[in-house]
Amino acid sequence: MRTRTLAGAVVAALVLAGGSACGSKGDAGGGSDTGNGKLILGASLSLTGSLAKEGALTKEGYQLCQDVVNGKGGVPVGGKKLNLEIQYQDDTSKPDTAGQLVDQFNDKGIKLILGPYGSATTEAAAAVIERNGQVMADAAGADDKIFQKGYRRTFAVLSPANQYAASMIQAIYDLAQPRPTTIAFVSADDGFSKTVTKAGVKKATDMGLTVVGEEYVPNGATDVSSALTKIKPKNPDVIIGSVHLAEGVAIVKQAKELGVVPKIFAETVAPPTPDFAQSLGAAAEGVLGSTQWTDKTAGSDKWFGSAKDYAATFAKMFNGREAEYHNAEATAACLALALAAEKAGSTDPNKVRDALAALDEQSFFGPLKFNDVGQNVTKKMGVIQIQGGKPVPVWPTDSAGAQMKYPGAAA
Amino acid sequence: MSQFLQATVYGLLQGCIFGLVAVGFSLVWGVMNVVNLAHGAFVLMGAYMAFELNQAVGLDPFLGVLPAAAAMFAIGYLIQRGLVNLVVNAPIFITLLLTFGLELLLVNGMLIVFTADYRSIPTDYAAHSITLPGEVHVPVGRLIAAALAVALTVGLSWFVRRTRTGMAILATGMDRGAARLMGISARHVYALTFGLAAALAGAAGAAVGSVTTFSPADAGRFTLFSFVAAVLGGLGNTYGALLGGLVLGVFQAWGGQLLPGTLVNAVAFGALVVILAVRPQGLAGRAFYASRVEV
Repeated sequence: MRTRTLAGAVVAALVLAGGSACGSKGDAGGGSDTGNGKLILGASLSLTGSLAKEGALTKEGYQLCQDVVNGKGGVPVGGKKLNLEIQYQDDTSKPDTAGQLVDQFNDKGIKLILGPYGSATTEAAAAVIERNGQVMADAAGADDKIFQKGYRRTFAVLSPANQYAASMIQAIYDLAQPRPTTIAFVSADDGFSKTVTKAGVKKATDMGLTVVGEEYVPNGATDVSSALTKIKPKNPDVIIGSVHLAEGVAIVKQAKELGVVPKIFAETVAPPTPDFAQSLGAAAEGVLGSTQWTDKTAGSDKWFGSAKDYAATFAKMFNGREAEYHNAEATAACLALALAAEKAGSTDPNKVRDALAALDEQSFFGPLKFNDVGQNVTKKMGVIQIQGGKPVPVWPTDSAGAQMKYPGAAA
Repeated sequence: MSQFLQATVYGLLQGCIFGLVAVGFSLVWGVMNVVNLAHGAFVLMGAYMAFELNQAVGLDPFLGVLPAAAAMFAIGYLIQRGLVNLVVNAPIFITLLLTFGLELLLVNGMLIVFTADYRSIPTDYAAHSITLPGEVHVPVGRLIAAALAVALTVGLSWFVRRTRTGMAILATGMDRGAARLMGISARHVYALTFGLAAALAGAAGAAVGSVTTFSPADAGRFTLFSFVAAVLGGLGNTYGALLGGLVLGVFQAWGGQLLPGTLVNAVAFGALVVILAVRPQGLAGRAFYASRVEV
């Protein structure tokens, strides 16, 4: 019995560690890119697992793109109008599964791929894309590491990771009076968040701020108390959280519990999502967040119009909900592929790849233009602040909806 | 020094929360030899019930503990009676498989009903803290959750040692065959135990939901911490889970202070390995429960 219990314990531990390792295999039909006047795109997304929330937002963005483009007659490719058909698979938030699913798409002849949510899954997918000669429009993989491997077939519509913290530091530098002097970083330990933090530390040092702390916590942690306890005696003016939603909420919540009171909190990724203000309530007030897109972003395109038009279309399609940047970047990735196919006049992956590389278009998401490693460095990131329970754009000031409040935190 | 003291106090509070989450898990494992992988999902169900009650009628999450526990008791009882009892004599792999499947069903069900949004039950007071001398902050919400953990553990202990039903549970856990010969209905006792554990999970969920965030994806994390706390503390003792939780919480807090923050889990699991090497039955556990034979 003893051995049975022990063996059971081992199995339990394995099961817990592995979670649901098997990805769902939906029936994808088949066919080539242009079968029956259709432009088939493959999307491996995190529909379950730890990134299910963000995966769902990404899916909504893709879905909106498909509906709007098809509603306007489809993508004109080489004299024919092709309807978009996006096929989804669930990568269960696991990078290796994301890679396998991209392979499966390739086996079915689907060469044009829309990116998964998150840097880790995107990095895994990008390697497979390169090997198979597919092409990927990356919607949500911002880590600079993905683009330092010499890949030529992955194109990210979003601003790179090094901009996430740097944009907020620039905003604080531009707008805060009196200017803060000390800054501390709390970072998740995944590749993307670490890249953000490293770039943020460099930016802060360049701006003459003293970096008094750089603490790392496990990715997805809901307890960041040890990092905060270590930072507290240094009493920083600014705390930057390079995080996702769970850690982002924990930083603000536990800082309050532990009496850590910087003049302002600034966090990547988390604050623009409604869950952030909802779960924190009044404590969310004044927190800064970096965002890829707001409904005040400059630029427009023929499919979605301006950022404001996009927000209206989204609200109409999803029961009045407000579009988040995760939605917008997904739609922008889909738009980039559609524009590239149109310009290439073909759905041949090599031609679409070349058209993407040469793309230089304005859109509701801002400029879509890629450098020679496939990053969109033309587009600027924005900064929002939670004011009255809602994220409001505050920087850059020419597309701001309100003035930045500083100090931000209502202690 | 005050930094270390603060970390220790916070670790103890965090440990109580681990204990609160784990106490039901440990009970089921100890009595029935079932490692309930759906335990984390039960905790989340409690959290969602308290959340919905808070949204609908503004019920305080710590009062929401009661309805969440009551509803989860009923659900737990029925699950055991109608499902787990069917395979309770089978090798442990079968019950593992069953509860794992149940976990998948429940988590994906919650994903459909409640979406993957992160939630937290808002209160006016939970994030406030009492400041002790030496700048040590004791957050109110966590303090209440810790008090609940201690109260439930003491209550459970009293229940199994001092009431007829409790002793029936204990007796069935020790020797099912002998308990049956004394006229105890094992089926009913097992269902009662599982219901009790689910109720404790539900109560834990309501309390945890107000001090931290949760989404359906957290089920695995809750089960994992329950597992570690139960193994650390040892089976066959109602105080085991709380003790294991406290050790886990304090080790994590100390590890977080002395080592880079990303190693907190390595420290906690390292402690698990060391303690199990020295005391295989866990800190407060009785070796008997790991070696019993059931008929």
